[in-house]
Amino acid sequence: MATPIIRFTHATFGFPGVTALEDISLEIADGEFVGVIGPNGSGKTTLCRAVLGLLPPRSGHLQIFDCACQELRCHHRARIGYLPQKGVLDRNFPITVLEAVMMGRYGALGLFTRPDKQDREIALHALDHVGMQDHRNSALGHLSGGQQQRVLIARALAQQPQVLLLDEPTTGIDITTQHAVLDLIRHLHRDLKLTVLLITHDINMIRSYVDRLVLLKTRLYAAGPPAEVLRQDVLQQVYGKELVITEKDLIIVEDYHHHH
Amino acid sequence: MIEMLTYDFMQRSLLAAVLVGAVCSVIGVFVVLRGLAFIGAGTAHAAFAGVALAYLLGVPPLPLAIVFGLATVWITGVMEEQGRMKLDVSIGILYTATMALAILFIGLMKGYNAEVYGYLFGSVLSVTPEELRVIGLLSVLVVGVIFIFSKELYFIAFDQDMAEASGVPARRIFYLLLTLIALTVVVSLKTVGAILVFAMVLVPASTAYQLTHSLKQMTVYAVLIGVGCAVWGVMVSYWWDLPSGPAIVLLATTVFFLSVFFSPKRVRRADAAH
Repeated sequence: MATPIIRFTHATFGFPGVTALEDISLEIADGEFVGVIGPNGSGKTTLCRAVLGLLPPRSGHLQIFDCACQELRCHHRARIGYLPQKGVLDRNFPITVLEAVMMGRYGALGLFTRPDKQDREIALHALDHVGMQDHRNSALGHLSGGQQQRVLIARALAQQPQVLLLDEPTTGIDITTQHAVLDLIRHLHRDLKLTVLLITHDINMIRSYVDRLVLLKTRLYAAGPPAEVLRQDVLQQVYGKELVITEKDLIIVEDYHHHH
Repeated sequence: MIEMLTYDFMQRSLLAAVLVGAVCSVIGVFVVLRGLAFIGAGTAHAAFAGVALAYLLGVPPLPLAIVFGLATVWITGVMEEQGRMKLDVSIGILYTATMALAILFIGLMKGYNAEVYGYLFGSVLSVTPEELRVIGLLSVLVVGVIFIFSKELYFIAFDQDMAEASGVPARRIFYLLLTLIALTVVVSLKTVGAILVFAMVLVPASTAYQLTHSLKQMTVYAVLIGVGCAVWGVMVSYWWDLPSGPAIVLLATTVFFLSVFFSPKRVRRADAAH
């Protein structure tokens, strides 16, 4: 296995009175495609914030690249391309596709440096990767949900990241588009040698894409290849009776709280 | 038309209108996009309370206006971050409290002070050379800082969390934006007045918002509309002997309603409905 670029060592995260993640020990190697699963409120988004260096551990240790999480400087953050959970984008917000993707360069450039021709090339290249170059002058708000997601992935790619961190990338888009987005992520993982950390509640969707699954519910319940994690006895600890495994080995997790 | 430019006061007021129109509409772009309209309105009243206190104490009004303005934006910034109370409620309280302070300070003065009311209603036609210098200096400062940090300001206006996550010091940029809002309000106080100043910030930017799908274009349109309305408003107020503040603001508001009516976004929505 390659060298770990993210390493949690007995790390606990939370706020006074609330423990979001407890005693997490996990190593993510360079070039891995890892899926993080767990029910709602299991600390998946906290894991995201931790990896971005926005939330230092209350105890234990978190190492990202070559520095501790609490020391994670802005230029390190730029090495992680982040796709946040899809919010409601104001359809009328005046921003073009290229303007949005260019923002991916801003953190990497740092203060007082203006984006130049080369940054524009990088942004256009990123748009090319997600197949959206023809839309570069379109209004972001006029695109479909799947297209917007592609553009925001291009924005993350424009950072020229080492790690791609995706928080529920398939939520809120239709089912054919969901697979297209996941296929795109797989391509990026292979072609650009990106380490991918994909957070989702949809186990069925991602099981065939990932090298490893990490099962969370405040604590880390399992981490390993999908075949090892997606077993009745492992999953039941976390999902309880909401879990049904059918004969075809399809796993259906009814997540009643999902539709907020 | 040419003959009015021969008057010193007219040259000064047109120059002041250009400066205030430009600085207000540039900052307005970020205020509108980041959704800070309420904060600005509160700041104008706080700055006016600073002016009233300065006249009561017999000291120059500008420093106290800046102090009051900055205190208000920073307090509301902290309240927005902590989110303990709904922002509209906390700003509503702060806004009326500073207005109460202003009325209190005015009440404590002996007699009627016309100059204080000048700050409340604004009068671009009575801008002195000294005031014009201050307006010029602060305008250059505000626009300069916006230019230097424009990429970060656009980013936090689009999505502050995303900006933070991709390595932009988003929190500090947010407080910088709040500071610039307070300074803009103070710059414009004498020209358009505390009650109307925020229209100068909101209206050109919201008009531009209706007309384009690009951040850069929105900024250019906002400045053109802001400066155009300010200059036109000064001329109208000179020709027809009208108060300048309302002339500028009502002109801008008319343009805004026209833009809403003829907005390409509105047309597109109407298409989509079919």
